[in-house]
Amino acid sequence: MLEEEQVALYLTARLIARGNKGTLFLTIMILAMVFVNLVFLPSIIAGVVVLFNQRTIDYSYGNLIVEPRPGELRIENPSQLVQKINGIPGVVASTPRYSTGATVVFRGRSTSPLVIGIDPAREQEVMRIFASVQSGDYLSPSDTGEALVGETLAGSDDPEGDSTPTLGGVVVGKTIEITFPNGFTQAFRVKGILKAGTSSVDNAVFLHRRDMARVLGEADPANTILVRTETTGKDAEMRLTLMQYGVQEKIWTWQDKSAEFLASIVGSFGIINVISTLVSLIIAVVVIFIVIFISIVYRRRQIGILRAIGIDRSLIIKSYILQALFICTCGTLAGGMLLIAVLQYLAVNPLIFPGGPVQPALETGLIAQSVLSLYIVSVLAGYLPSWLTTREEILDAIRG
Amino acid sequence: MRSGGNMIRGEGLTRIYRMGASEVRALDGVDLNIPRGEFVGVMGASGSGKSTLLHMIGLLDRPTAGVLEIDGVDVTRLSERQRTLFRLNRLGYVFQDYALVPELTAQENVYLPSKVRGMSVRECNLVCQDILERVGLKDRMNFLPGEMSGGEQQRVAIARALVNRPALLLADEPCANLDTKNSVLILDLIRSLNRELGQTVMMVSHEEWHRQYFDRVIFLRDGKIVDEVGAGSAP
Repeated sequence: MLEEEQVALYLTARLIARGNKGTLFLTIMILAMVFVNLVFLPSIIAGVVVLFNQRTIDYSYGNLIVEPRPGELRIENPSQLVQKINGIPGVVASTPRYSTGATVVFRGRSTSPLVIGIDPAREQEVMRIFASVQSGDYLSPSDTGEALVGETLAGSDDPEGDSTPTLGGVVVGKTIEITFPNGFTQAFRVKGILKAGTSSVDNAVFLHRRDMARVLGEADPANTILVRTETTGKDAEMRLTLMQYGVQEKIWTWQDKSAEFLASIVGSFGIINVISTLVSLIIAVVVIFIVIFISIVYRRRQIGILRAIGIDRSLIIKSYILQALFICTCGTLAGGMLLIAVLQYLAVNPLIFPGGPVQPALETGLIAQSVLSLYIVSVLAGYLPSWLTTREEILDAIRG
Repeated sequence: MRSGGNMIRGEGLTRIYRMGASEVRALDGVDLNIPRGEFVGVMGASGSGKSTLLHMIGLLDRPTAGVLEIDGVDVTRLSERQRTLFRLNRLGYVFQDYALVPELTAQENVYLPSKVRGMSVRECNLVCQDILERVGLKDRMNFLPGEMSGGEQQRVAIARALVNRPALLLADEPCANLDTKNSVLILDLIRSLNRELGQTVMMVSHEEWHRQYFDRVIFLRDGKIVDEVGAGSAP
């Protein structure tokens, strides 16, 4: 280490060790709070995005969506294709669906939701709709003439209060009439009410695909196969794998399907995140600057004396930068511990969002960015005031 | 470049402070020569320019006009960095209120300028112990300024000023905050350093009884030297 840096370190170590412990502790705690502020809100926002993504996979699309080949309305031999897809490495399971618009009537109130035919057993391996049953039961493989109705679509006893067209308070055990696009009408008993917090579930009707087949007069109707893969995040790679294994149907990833929705969510949160980070950084700059500036102004006379006895201003500046770095390091560590404590608390008492409980998602990049920002700010906050103070006339500094 | 046997040579030293539209001539064309090894006192009433002169010679301030040579160097031509190095290597300054770093022990306060000068740790420790022993603080080396009396603190300040063996020791009313007993201790110490080490000393004082310690006294009034009196009688 260079001579001057050694002396600066010597001076810094003693100024810190023998300086006012209360002020030092307070400054470190302020830095710790600033660090938590920099990391916490963005990690909550990241957690919300993770929640949205997971819900999109669990309740709307799975990881991959297989659709009919171009120009076709149905998937050919969907059961065979499901068997084939299930055999591809990296695939957990897949499930065929047939979705169509239909008119649903209950006690004279009619609405036109999406009606989805599912294979209840297979569906459980891919989607988590079974876990969103609010009342009643999930469909069993042997059910016939039974339906699951989304909570929003089911509506309330006072339909005027519902924000979207509803069935006016249908409940488990009641019968609804569904008229399909081919004109066929059939009554279904409501077996369960679903509440997933996702419109693709809460605004839809789910039937057994066998009932759908009878209505359509087809043996094995499907216009979608949803696929669950072992790892989320490698969806594009899995899409290619399916294609390499000879799946000739159109394949989408869940991001492709929810691109617009996801982009708007992530975009909006991104803006909030940027604003929050910027505000936190400005607060950090101001706080650190003020704290270190006050400390330096308080020592203005001492700086003047050090210069008067022949200590070069660069050494004094380095000493204050080292002090700022020390405070920053302790503040970051204390902030890290504070953050861990907050995360532990939130693990036990999670924040409940409309989509479910949110766990803060700590990203290494975010932490690195926050730490780096704090260090840059601290160096500036140590440098600028000491640079300014050591620029003034020695006598002015000594006289205070 | 050495100006004969003079440690300080000043010609027409002038310092003008501007206060709004008016100007104050703190020093008004001072000529002076201080030989090496002399113990010079600077006396005068408040506002006579004593401290301004000492600040100028201590390179804490710059003259508005005039020539100033210290130890053969025209210090008015030095850059800020060169002035800092000059202060470190050739000048020792003792302030009225000790001006020690409160977070450093006596030894560390003395150690700092010697370390900055580039001495090894061993050298630093040796010279620090030696100088602190010389000022009678061998047993107080590890005390913080706040744990020492005013007299002890001023002795640390003198040790700090002398640790780099400066060509010139400047003392700005070093006894101003001390009682008579401690003042005598400090003045005896400076006098003995001047006698034993041949240390040139320039000291500002307003106490008449200090005159007995000085080889020569320069009297200032309104920024001008009005009188010079030789050899006071040392006690």
